[in-house]
Amino acid sequence: MSPGLPFLPVYTGDFVGATLMIILSLQAMRYARRLTRLERQNVLWTYLFWLCAALVALAVSRSIGHILRFVMELAGCPIGWQVLAPYSGGLNSLAFMAVAVLTFYFYNVYLVNERVRQHARALAEAHESLQCLNLTLEEQVEERTLELSRSEQKFRRLYEGSKDMIFFCDVNGRITDINDSGVELLGYDRSQDIVGHHLSSFFSDEAKWARYFCSLNANGHIKDFEAEFECRDGSHRYLLITASAVRGEDTTRQGCEAIAKDLTHFKQVTDQLIQSENMASVGQLAAGVAHEINTPLGIILGYTQLLEEDFEGNNEVLEPLRIVEKQTKVCKRIVADLLRFSRHTTEGELCRISINHCLEEVLSVVEHSLNMDHIYVQRVFGEDVPEVVVDRERLRQVLVNMITNAHHAIGKEGIIGVWTRFHSHCRELEIIIGDTGCGIAPEVIGRIFDPFFTTKGVGKGTGLGLSVSFGIIQDFGGRIDVFSPPREAMLVSAGMRTVFCIFLPVEAAGALVSEEKGRG
Amino acid sequence: MSTRKVKSFAATRAFAVKLVIPLLVLLVVGLPAPACAVQVHGAPEGLYVHMLAHVFFASALIFLLHILRRRPMGSGSAWRYFKLSLIFFLIWNVDTFLVHWLSLRLDENAIIGGSRLWHHRLAPPLDWERWLFYLGRFDHIFCVPAMYFLVRSLRDFCAGAEQRLGRTGEQS
Repeated sequence: MSPGLPFLPVYTGDFVGATLMIILSLQAMRYARRLTRLERQNVLWTYLFWLCAALVALAVSRSIGHILRFVMELAGCPIGWQVLAPYSGGLNSLAFMAVAVLTFYFYNVYLVNERVRQHARALAEAHESLQCLNLTLEEQVEERTLELSRSEQKFRRLYEGSKDMIFFCDVNGRITDINDSGVELLGYDRSQDIVGHHLSSFFSDEAKWARYFCSLNANGHIKDFEAEFECRDGSHRYLLITASAVRGEDTTRQGCEAIAKDLTHFKQVTDQLIQSENMASVGQLAAGVAHEINTPLGIILGYTQLLEEDFEGNNEVLEPLRIVEKQTKVCKRIVADLLRFSRHTTEGELCRISINHCLEEVLSVVEHSLNMDHIYVQRVFGEDVPEVVVDRERLRQVLVNMITNAHHAIGKEGIIGVWTRFHSHCRELEIIIGDTGCGIAPEVIGRIFDPFFTTKGVGKGTGLGLSVSFGIIQDFGGRIDVFSPPREAMLVSAGMRTVFCIFLPVEAAGALVSEEKGRG
Repeated sequence: MSTRKVKSFAATRAFAVKLVIPLLVLLVVGLPAPACAVQVHGAPEGLYVHMLAHVFFASALIFLLHILRRRPMGSGSAWRYFKLSLIFFLIWNVDTFLVHWLSLRLDENAIIGGSRLWHHRLAPPLDWERWLFYLGRFDHIFCVPAMYFLVRSLRDFCAGAEQRLGRTGEQS
C-alpha cells in the first residue's frame, strides 16, 4: 500500500456534495421565485431570490471543479479541465462577491423600505380619515352649527331674561353692552342711551370707582363689590357687583363682563331693621326708667298738691309749690311719653275717621297759639279722600306733634301747609305737613326719628315726639317720609322748606269691617 | 437657473464641441505612443482575489447575522433555519479559506499519484498542517447543510406567505 492519505474519499465527497449543492440550490431558487411571485412588494423575498441566484451560480461553478473534472478525466480529456479551472474559480469569486454585495446592500434597502412602508401606512390612515371626514363633514358642520345655535340661544335668554344687571365694558371702562334689566335699573329707556358711557359716571363715589377699577385690573376679577350707582333721575341704587376681566388669545385685557345685583331695597330694609332694634333697645331702657320714676313722681305731685291746699292764700310759699307741681307734671308727661313709646301700645279703640275732619279738630286747638306767633295755616284738603281706620286719639297725638314741630321750626312768622290726598293706585292716603321754617340739615335728617334726638334747646324738647309718632304710624301700617327741601314742585312753589309725608293704608278699613263681622 | 447662467453654459458647451473634442481626437489618433497603462496580473493573483472574495462573503454573513440579532426581522421556524444556514455558510467559508491558505504552504510534491485523479494521495510526512488540509477538503459537510437549511427556510417562508395571502383572500 502506498504511503500518505488517499484523495479518493475527498473527491468522492466533492462529487456527491457538488451534485447535492446543485439540486438544493435549484430547489431554493424555486422557492425564492415562488415567494417573489406571491408577494412582489416584499424586499426580503427579492433579496432571497437574488441570493439564491448567486448560490446557484456558485453551485454550478463548483460543479465544474468537482464534477466535470471527473467526467473529463474518465473521458480521457484531462486537458479540458485545465482550461475550465480558471473560469470555475473566477465564477466562484464572482458569486461570493455578488452574495456579499447583495447582503450589504439589502440591509439599506430594507431600512428604506421599512420607512416607505411606515409612511405609506400613515398616508393610508390619513387618507382613510380624510375620506371619512369628507363623507361626514356636512353632517358634522350641521351638528356643530346646531350646538352653537342652542348655546347662543341659551346664553341670550340668560342675558336678556336676567333680573340682575349684566353689562360689558371695553378696556377703558366704557360700557359696550347692557341688558334690559340694567337699562331699567339705571332709569334709561334704551341700551343705546347707556352704551358708550364710562362706567365711572354711574359711580356715586369716585374713590369706590378707583378701588373697583384697580382691583379688577390687578386680580382679573372682583367679587361682591358694593357700590352706589347714581341713576338718570338722580336717585341712588346700591349694587353688588361681580366682574371678571375678558382676555384675548394673547392674554391682553380686552375689557370686562359684570353682573350687578340691586340691593337698594335690601339695604333699606336692613337700615329699618337696625333702627327698629335701636328703638326696641331704647324702649326697653325707657320702660325700666319710666317705671321706677313714675311712682316717686306721683308721690311728689301728691304731696305738693297737699301742701298747696295747706298754704292756700300764702303766695310766698304757694308760688314755689306751683312751680314744683308744674315741673313735676312735665316730668310725668315725659315719663308717659316714654312708656307710650316703649310699649307701642295699641290699647286704643280703632274707628273709621275722616282725616280732613280730624285735621280740622287738631288745627282748631293749635291754631290759636300759632296765630299768636303770626303763623298761618294753609289747608289744601282733597275732596275724594276716603276714611281710614285708626285710633283717633293716637293719630291726633301724631298730628299735634307734627304741627308743634313745624311751629318750633318756624319760630315766628311763617306758613304751615297741610295737604291731604289719596293715591288710588296704591290705596294710600297721604297727609303732608310742611313749614317755611329753617329746614333740616342733610347730616341730621337720617336721625330725626331716633329716640332722644333733638335739635331744640335744653328743656324745650325731649326728642321723643317724632319717635313716638313714627311708632304710632307704623302701628297703623303706614310710614312717615321727610324731605328737606321737598321734591315736589308744588310744595316748593308753596314756599315749604321741610315736609313730613304721612302715608296711611286705606285697606285697613276692610279689615276692620271683617273683624267687626267676626265679632258680631 | 437664471437666463445669464444658461447662456454661459451654452457658450462653454459650444466651445468644447467646436475646439476641445477635435483636438483630443487629433492627439489620440494622430500622435500614437505606448501608454504603459495596462497592468499585467500574475498567476497567484487569482487565488488571492478568490480568498479575498471568501473574506468579503464571510464579512457579509457576519454582518447579516449581527443585524438579525440586533434587529430581528421576524420569528418562527423559517428565520431559525435561515440563521442556521448563515452560520453553516460562515463555517464553510472559514474552512475553505483555511484550505486555500494551507494549499499555498504545501510542497509542490505534497500531492502524489500522477495524472490519474483516483491515484492522488497526500504524501507524508503527515504533520498537523497536512492533516488539517486533508480534513478541510471535506468542506461539503458544511455547505450542503447550509444549502439544506436555506431550502427549509424558504419553504417555511413560502408556507407563511401562502397562509397570509389565503387569510387575506378569505377576508376580502
